Parts: sequence; C-alpha cells; structure tokens
Amino acid sequence: MNDAMILLIEDERQIRRFVRGALEKEGLRVSEAETRREGLVEAGRCQPGLVILDLGLPDGDGSLFVADFRAWSSAPVLVLSARSTEHDKIGVLDAGADDYLTKPFSIGELLARVRALLRRGRGRPDAEAARVVFGEVEVDFSLHQVLRRGELVRLTPLEYRLLAVLAANPGKVMTHRQLLQAVWGQATGDNSHYLRIYVGHLRHKLEDDPAQPRHFLTETGVGYRFQL
Amino acid sequence: MPLSILLTEGRNCAHGRRYGLAVLACGVVALGLLPFRTHLDLPNTVMFFLLSVVIVAVTVGRGPAVLTSVLGVALFDFLFVPPRFSFEVSYAPHLLTFVVMLVVSLLVGQLTAGLRLMASEAARRERVAQGLYGLARELAGAVAVEQVDESVARFLQDQWQAPCRLLLPAPDERLLAVRERSGPFLETASVLLTQARSGLRPLRVPAGDGSGRHVHALPLAGATRNRGVLMVALEEGDEDIGPLLEALAALVSTAVERLHFVEVAQAAQVEAVSERLRSSILSALSHDVRTPLTALYGLADSLVVGSPPLPDEARDIAGAIRDQALRVNGMVGNLLDMARLQSGPVHLRKEWQPVEEVVGASLQLLGKALDGHPLRVSGLAELPLLDLDAVLIERVFCNLLENATKYSPPGAPIVLSATTGASTVELQVASGGSGFPPDKLDRVFELFERGQPETAEPGMGIGLAICRAIIEAHGGSIRAFNPPEGGGCVAFCLPLGNPPPIESEALVLEGEGA
Repeated sequence: MNDAMILLIEDERQIRRFVRGALEKEGLRVSEAETRREGLVEAGRCQPGLVILDLGLPDGDGSLFVADFRAWSSAPVLVLSARSTEHDKIGVLDAGADDYLTKPFSIGELLARVRALLRRGRGRPDAEAARVVFGEVEVDFSLHQVLRRGELVRLTPLEYRLLAVLAANPGKVMTHRQLLQAVWGQATGDNSHYLRIYVGHLRHKLEDDPAQPRHFLTETGVGYRFQL
Repeated sequence: MPLSILLTEGRNCAHGRRYGLAVLACGVVALGLLPFRTHLDLPNTVMFFLLSVVIVAVTVGRGPAVLTSVLGVALFDFLFVPPRFSFEVSYAPHLLTFVVMLVVSLLVGQLTAGLRLMASEAARRERVAQGLYGLARELAGAVAVEQVDESVARFLQDQWQAPCRLLLPAPDERLLAVRERSGPFLETASVLLTQARSGLRPLRVPAGDGSGRHVHALPLAGATRNRGVLMVALEEGDEDIGPLLEALAALVSTAVERLHFVEVAQAAQVEAVSERLRSSILSALSHDVRTPLTALYGLADSLVVGSPPLPDEARDIAGAIRDQALRVNGMVGNLLDMARLQSGPVHLRKEWQPVEEVVGASLQLLGKALDGHPLRVSGLAELPLLDLDAVLIERVFCNLLENATKYSPPGAPIVLSATTGASTVELQVASGGSGFPPDKLDRVFELFERGQPETAEPGMGIGLAICRAIIEAHGGSIRAFNPPEGGGCVAFCLPLGNPPPIESEALVLEGEGA
C-alpha cells in the first residue's frame, strides 16, 4: 500500500498478532505498544502515519492518548471499541480520533478502514478537493454546484454547508457535536434534531434509496460518516 | 395597648382578688397612720396614700390603682381631715387638696401601671424571641422531620400552651401528620388543609370542640412549591401573634425544604453510585468476554483470507470457527443487553429523530444477514420525528428483522411499514413463513421463550424480550400476531409526544452561492 508506519496500541496479544499479520501482508510496517504510556513514547519514536488504538487500555482512557497525540500529530487515529460504549466513542472522536471499528471485526473491515484513513492522511491536491464525486453525484465546490445524473440539485444553504463539511472528511466519523459546531456554529442540544432532518434531506436528494443510504451513513448514537 | 395584656393579667390574678388587694392596701395605710395622726402633718399623710397608689399600680395594675386613688382620697378625708369621721369639708382649701391629691394619685397610678405593663410586655417579647432563636438553632441542626415536629411542638407549648400538628405531603401528595398529637384539630380539617396548601396566607377556623380555641392553618411555602401545613390551636387572646406565626411557618418550611433537598441529593447520589457500579460491571464483563472473541474471530479470519491459501477443507473449518465466534458474540451481546435492561431503571438517551434514519442504520448493521430476503419499506419518510434512544430502537429493528429472516423461507419478502395514529406511531415488521404458533402469541416476548423450540435455528429466546423491555421503557407497547394473509408480524407503538418545531429554510436557486 505504502511505506507508512502504523502504531498498534492494544493490550491483548492475540489481537495484536492477527492485526499485525494482516497489516504486514499489506506491506505496511507495524510498531506495537501495550499501554497508553508506552504508546505515547512509541509514537514519539516512530512518527506513525496511522495509529490503531484500543479503547479499553489498562492504564486509562483512550481519549487521553488521543488528546496528547493530537498536540503534535495530525496522523489519523482508528479506535477499536466494544459495542454499547457510545459514550466512550463520542469522547474519543471529539478528542480527535478519526474512525472506530467495533469488536469483533473482520480483517476485510480493518483493511478497508486502514486504507481509507491512509489515503486521507496523505492529503489531496486542492484541485481534487474542490470536486467530489460519489455514486451518481458530482459536487463542485468552486462553482457551488451539485449535479445528480448530470442534473442540477437544489440545496438550501444549510444543506450545502452540511454536505461540504461531510464531503471534506470522507471516511471520518463526525460526531453530532462536531457537525453542529461546523454547520450551525454551536453545539447546543436545542437544534440537534435539525442535524438529523438535514442529513435526511441530503439523503432524499442525493441517495438512490434514502432508507438504505450508501454515502451518508449513520453511526447510531455517535454521529455520521460520509463515504465516497 | 393590646387587650391581650389585660387578659393575660386577668388570667394570672382573679379580678376580685386584685381589687381586694387595692382595698387592703388603702386600709393598711389608713390604719397604720391613725396612731401617728397627731405627729404627722396632713401633707405627710397624703404622701403615704400616694405611696400606696404607686405600690398597688406596680404590683397589681391599672384598675386597682384607680380604686386605690379614689379610696385613698375618701379615707384621707374621712379619717384624717377635720372634721373627722365625716365627709364634710369645713375649710375650703381642703377641697383643693382633695382634688389635687386625686389627680396626682390617678396620674401616678396610670404612669406606674403603664411602665409596669411595658416592662412585662418587653419581658414577654424577649422570652418569645429567645424561644424563636432556640427554635431556629434546633431547626438548623435537625436531621429528620420528626425532630422539626418535636422542636416546633415544644416551642408552641412553652410559649402559648398551644397544641400543634405538622402535616407534610406523602409521595402520593396526601398530607400526613408527622406525628399524631391530641389537640382540638377538626376531623373535617381536610378542606381547610387543601385551602391552606394552595394559598399563601394562613387560615383560621374555630376549633369546634367548645374550648374556644381557633385552629390556624399555616401554609409552609417552599422556594419551588408548598411543603406542607402547620396547624396551631390558639386561645382567643393569643391571636395577635399572627406575624410571629408567619415567621414560625417560614422557619419550619425552610427546615422541611432543606431536609427534602438533602434527601433528594442523597437519593440521587446513591442512584448514581449504583448506576455507575452496574454499568462498570457490565462494561468490564463485556470487555472481558469480547476480547477473546475478537481474537478468536480475527485469528480465524486471518486463516480464511491468508495467503498462500489453506487447503479448501481447512479454510472451510476456519470459516466455520469464525462464523461461530460471531454467533457467540451476538448471544453475549443479547445477554448483556438483557442484563442491562433488567438490572434497574433503563436510562434512555432520548433525542428527537426520524425513524427512517434508525431503520437505515439497522439495515446497515445487519448487512449481509438480510441477503436473500427482499425488503419492502413503506410509510417511513412520512413519519414525524420521534423522541427515542436511537441505539436501543436500532436494537429493536435489528432483532425483529433478524427474526424475520430466520423464520421465513429464503426469498420471502420482509415488509416494514409504519402508520401514524392519534397519539402513537405503529411500526410493523411482517415476514412470510408459518408465523408464530397461535397458542404462544402472548408469550413470545417472555425471556427464554422460543416461538418454535423444535427448529434448528439458533437463538435463546432473548431477542423479543429485549425488544419488549426497550419499547416499554419508551412508554410504548409491542405485540405479535399472524396476519390473515399468512406469515408472522410484530407490531410496536411509540408515543408521538410533542416534536420540537422545525423552521423550514428557503431554497437557493441552482448555481447561486450558498
């Protein structure tokens, strides 16, 4: 894939074993750590291009690691978490993590997420960022134009702003708070239902089947993920 | 001057006896002075009579002092002024003496009696004030309403011998006495109580037991709501202490309110601690079980996708291990969910959201599990926003859809439909197949109850029980039935509630800036 170094912070040896195996088969270099503290030291040493972080580390909350790590690195962070801990997921995503994977996960899912994050981590040239294509939809941010099957789609200013924020972060899980902050300018609970309504609008205008979306995905209880 | 003071004195010393004392005082002075009549000038004699008036005024009060004045002048005239033993006045200036003596006596008597009254009034007020201070101190330190009740009863008993009764609302809002005490409290007082509770001013009604007392019902006004009623039975004369009673009511309501909030804070703390404990036990359990399952699943998966590929049979076995690990994970998930739902009050993270989105997320989560069953969805986009915990309702849809695929023949469609009623929204998940056993329709939502125990389909009979627990926590209801057109159907209702207003936004023209 590329020569990026991946830092794997996970306390369970057997999980490290198969994750490492899968990543190395993809031609990635992997460095390991067992605790949050060790992970921080290792991150400083190896300057990873991506961090895979277990949320249930023995020496504390994963969001502490992310907050420390974000102080000096913008490399993507993929979190491994157990289901039914939406609260922790929101915490670590708000702290700056990019995506999460619910345990147990297959190797296929893991590699797909890792690839997407590494692609994003490399950044894209501006010309490419100004134009986003997904499914039958073409968004041209320089022209403020949204086309579906070649036809113009009418969007309200807020719908457009929401689309722009989501499209600028493909593959990243954005929490409700982050989206409200970015689109409405405030993350108060008063208008959180608007976010859901506007995502619904985007689905109805841009998805083939709004009930089974393929691009504007719901991360229940956490937020949304835009997928190209 | 308050009438009550006179009455208070009247109670302490019977009228007759007080005036008798006045007469006695005059008699003693007159008889005492008689032997010295020849040695004393008339003015000196007058002084002694004035002295007797002062003494009477100080000791027994105003009325007897008046009597002493009049009687003194009469005795002075009769016994000491010549001609003696007659009221005749032979020397005209003596008449002036009598008048001046009477006026001075009356004045001195009135002033002295007034001073005495003021002193005793001040002393009484000080006693009440001391009592209030003591009461305030006791109430500030009270740790239970029984103590408040005790202190107030003692205070009222000490000050006015007034029986009282403190009534506080029970959880069902009925007023109950903290402790029943004997007293002239009407049994029909409930009307009075409701009035007192809803008002701010004290109410007053005759006690109705012939004691001549009046029952005062003092509302205990708290910061946020009424905290109860204090009933005090006062005697007729004590009724000018209204402002004092109101101060007392304010003290008591502050104390009762403080105790109430202490109790609320403690209960909240206990609940928070037990909630934290419960959720940390469940998370630890979840983590401990999922970690080896994740390793098992991932390791088996790495054998399946590994290169060079394993021989076919070995790869099949690895795939089977992987799938079984996933199934165990699903069961563990269900068991933990059930434990979470059953271990105490369910904490819903409710937010207003479109049901369509929750269904979409459930379908996304189920993924391949739905393959082979065409899904027909209707009526979802038209639903209003509902106030629900998306994570839990997603669980309900997942369980119902998963059940529908499990118990219907391959290729049979699954129908998910929604209808809006007057106060609820009904959602239905219908599938083909043989439906639910008719004799078990009302039992399928019970824990560990399986619709078709003889089938080879995996499951423990937890899924529907979880659905019921979640729907009921949302204030809804769930039922199963076999529609006439065949197959089985689970329908659940969620309350509509009052969705927040939605301001629509104008469209921008195509191509125009956003």
